[in-house]
Amino acid sequence: MNTSPVTSFLLRKASAISDEEFIQLRDFIYAKCGIWIDEKRKYLIQNRFEGRVAKLGMKTFTEYLKFLQYDANRDKELPFVFELITTNETSFFRDQKQLDAFTDHILMPVLAQQRAKNRFELSIWSAGCSSGEEPYTLAMILAEKLGPELRKWRISIQGCDISLPMLAKAKSGVYSDYAFKTTPEAMRRKYFTPVEGGFKISPAVSSMVSFQHLNLNDAAAMKRLPKSQVVFCRNVIIYFDTAMRKKVVSAFYDNLQPGGYLILGHSETLHGITMAFAPKFFPGAVAYLKS
Amino acid sequence: MPTIGINELKPGVIVAEAVVSRDGRVLLAAGGKVEARHVALFKGLGVSGVVAAGGAGGAHDEAAAGYVRDYFVFLNPDSPVVNELFSYAAQAVARRMESGWTLPSLAERRAENVEHLSDVLPMETADPDKIVDHEVQLASFPDVYFKLRQEMDSPTGSVQSLAEIITRDVSLTAKLLKLANSPIYSLPEPVESIARAIAVIGTNELSTLALGVSTINYFKGIPKELIDMAAFWRHSVSCAIFAHILAKALGEQNTERFFIAGLLHDVGRLILFKEMPYASSEALLHARENSLPIVEAERAMLGFTHTDLGRSLLARWDFPPQITVLVNQHHDPMSAPSPREAAIVHLADFFANVAGVAAGWLYVLPPLDEKAWELTGLPPSSARRVMSDFESQAEKTFSAFF
Ligand SMILES: C[S@@+](CC[C@H](N)C(=O)[O-])C[C@H]1O[C@@H](n2cnc3c(N)ncnc32)[C@H](O)[C@@H]1O
Ligand SMILES: [Fe+2]
Ligand SMILES: [Fe+2]
Repeated sequence: MNTSPVTSFLLRKASAISDEEFIQLRDFIYAKCGIWIDEKRKYLIQNRFEGRVAKLGMKTFTEYLKFLQYDANRDKELPFVFELITTNETSFFRDQKQLDAFTDHILMPVLAQQRAKNRFELSIWSAGCSSGEEPYTLAMILAEKLGPELRKWRISIQGCDISLPMLAKAKSGVYSDYAFKTTPEAMRRKYFTPVEGGFKISPAVSSMVSFQHLNLNDAAAMKRLPKSQVVFCRNVIIYFDTAMRKKVVSAFYDNLQPGGYLILGHSETLHGITMAFAPKFFPGAVAYLKS
Repeated sequence: MPTIGINELKPGVIVAEAVVSRDGRVLLAAGGKVEARHVALFKGLGVSGVVAAGGAGGAHDEAAAGYVRDYFVFLNPDSPVVNELFSYAAQAVARRMESGWTLPSLAERRAENVEHLSDVLPMETADPDKIVDHEVQLASFPDVYFKLRQEMDSPTGSVQSLAEIITRDVSLTAKLLKLANSPIYSLPEPVESIARAIAVIGTNELSTLALGVSTINYFKGIPKELIDMAAFWRHSVSCAIFAHILAKALGEQNTERFFIAGLLHDVGRLILFKEMPYASSEALLHARENSLPIVEAERAMLGFTHTDLGRSLLARWDFPPQITVLVNQHHDPMSAPSPREAAIVHLADFFANVAGVAAGWLYVLPPLDEKAWELTGLPPSSARRVMSDFESQAEKTFSAFF
């Protein structure tokens, strides 16, 4: 009998990415969008990109890197790069406890202040909004809280992302079941209508929201955004290194009106990034106050 | 051409090479078809596996390899031992597909809704020690554990009092007896009492087992939306079995402590589930969505990992240091005081993860420290042997726990 091992499958699929090529690709990605890929992810990156490299008819990563850097069409390749390295996981009413805390302790007081000043306007920035579930969720919360009064208000919820396909999906406003996995059934029934391929967000909600293609690495573009009372940036800075986190958080700071709040993802904090905000602890959530 | 372990062998397989018994008899010629009686015969004569011809199985090979490749994205594709294990996992998946298994879909590979669960601490202030503090204040720890711990430390400890402590705990006694009678000891005669188990296996050895196993009940009541607890313990017991096999292969003494370290290596994750259910599910989601091993996703999301929690918890329990160090270092064996010992549990965890791929485990394999493998001095090809040893022990040993 033969017990000697037979390796009938080979893990390696295509040409290897060399250390040198990996570093170049990593640095290129970092320079473009601030997403930091550490060395441990080398094979993951190889795995993600080798299909793209082959599809372009290239044999090596060096060829691909040259293409990214010097080709006349290099900018057209960027969206493909971003698709390969970003994750767009999101859903409506994600982190309900945090949203409740936001509603009760931030949104309601802000609305009251605005009413007192007779200024019926509110502006929120959803930075890294993916396919739009987060900004639409905020719009639904506002619709719930303002009711018929909504007509009086000028609400602007600005969703931004680096991913063009995600923004296109957001603008279409049509979602499949997965988007509702964290959503109370009543909300789906109230604010969506069944359509071919899923459920479409109601115009009353979507009219509060607009979408814009924006790279959080682009300081100038961020300066041009209207000032907000609240910035949501959830589950985005986790992909950045400290330098890039500092950069975007300082852009959020500049964008916020005095007394405005920054809301990060459930497990994200400003530790080691900035002391410019004061953390406010609410049951189930922390929000950062620009003081 | 895949090698099929004897426990996986099903009638209908065509063998590519003759199947020969230990004493050189040809039991089935090359090209022959395995029938039910052959399977029994091979088992009876200690044949560990056969080399199967391609063909019938080929249909799923590509899909299986593609599926398994996604689990190996943190591994060096040029490492021989990694390739050996990749090949093993791909074959195992292909075989399961042949028997009708459909690969887990993307939806299944995503975490469930846990919006109703809240963390005990905000991440803003949470650190491993604070989390464990909260944990040990709330949950009461199995009494039998402390009695055993005292007994082990006591100079006047006796075999008799040890047996008494254990016997008073019915569920612990049952588990230990099943373990004593499992293939990890393969005793010539069944052991029917704790006193007998102590006599056969040894006082220190049985104390170590008892201590480790007595902690399991502590981790009950974790919401099932967070994690499939059966799958968690299956992974843990698998790691224990692999650690035991490797420790034996490397000529270690007191292999029980490797078994127990394997059993408890991921308990830090259970603390995370109990205390920080929402954060832990976000970490799992992050792992799945970004093709990260759980340990890397924890590091990115929480700033610490389950080994930090395990370290803090075992210290609080005053767990024996020679086991604790193996648990603490299971993702970082080379910086342990004794890297060779830590390597055993590190590798066992990795092997258990590889074995889990075909069992439907949903997370990318953790990095393998290739230096840890080198420390064992085993040739890459022996990975297969370790796998088939595991297969022959797994089900019976599992039954001691489930
Ligand atoms: C995991 S999603 C988070 C979606 C949503 N905020 C949530 O928490 O459910 C992260 C999003 O950040 C976007 N992103 C990553 N880097 C970016 C950058 N440099 N500029 C803008 N968006 C970026 C990705 O395209 C992706 O849609
Ligand atoms: Fe682990
Ligand atoms: Fe593990």
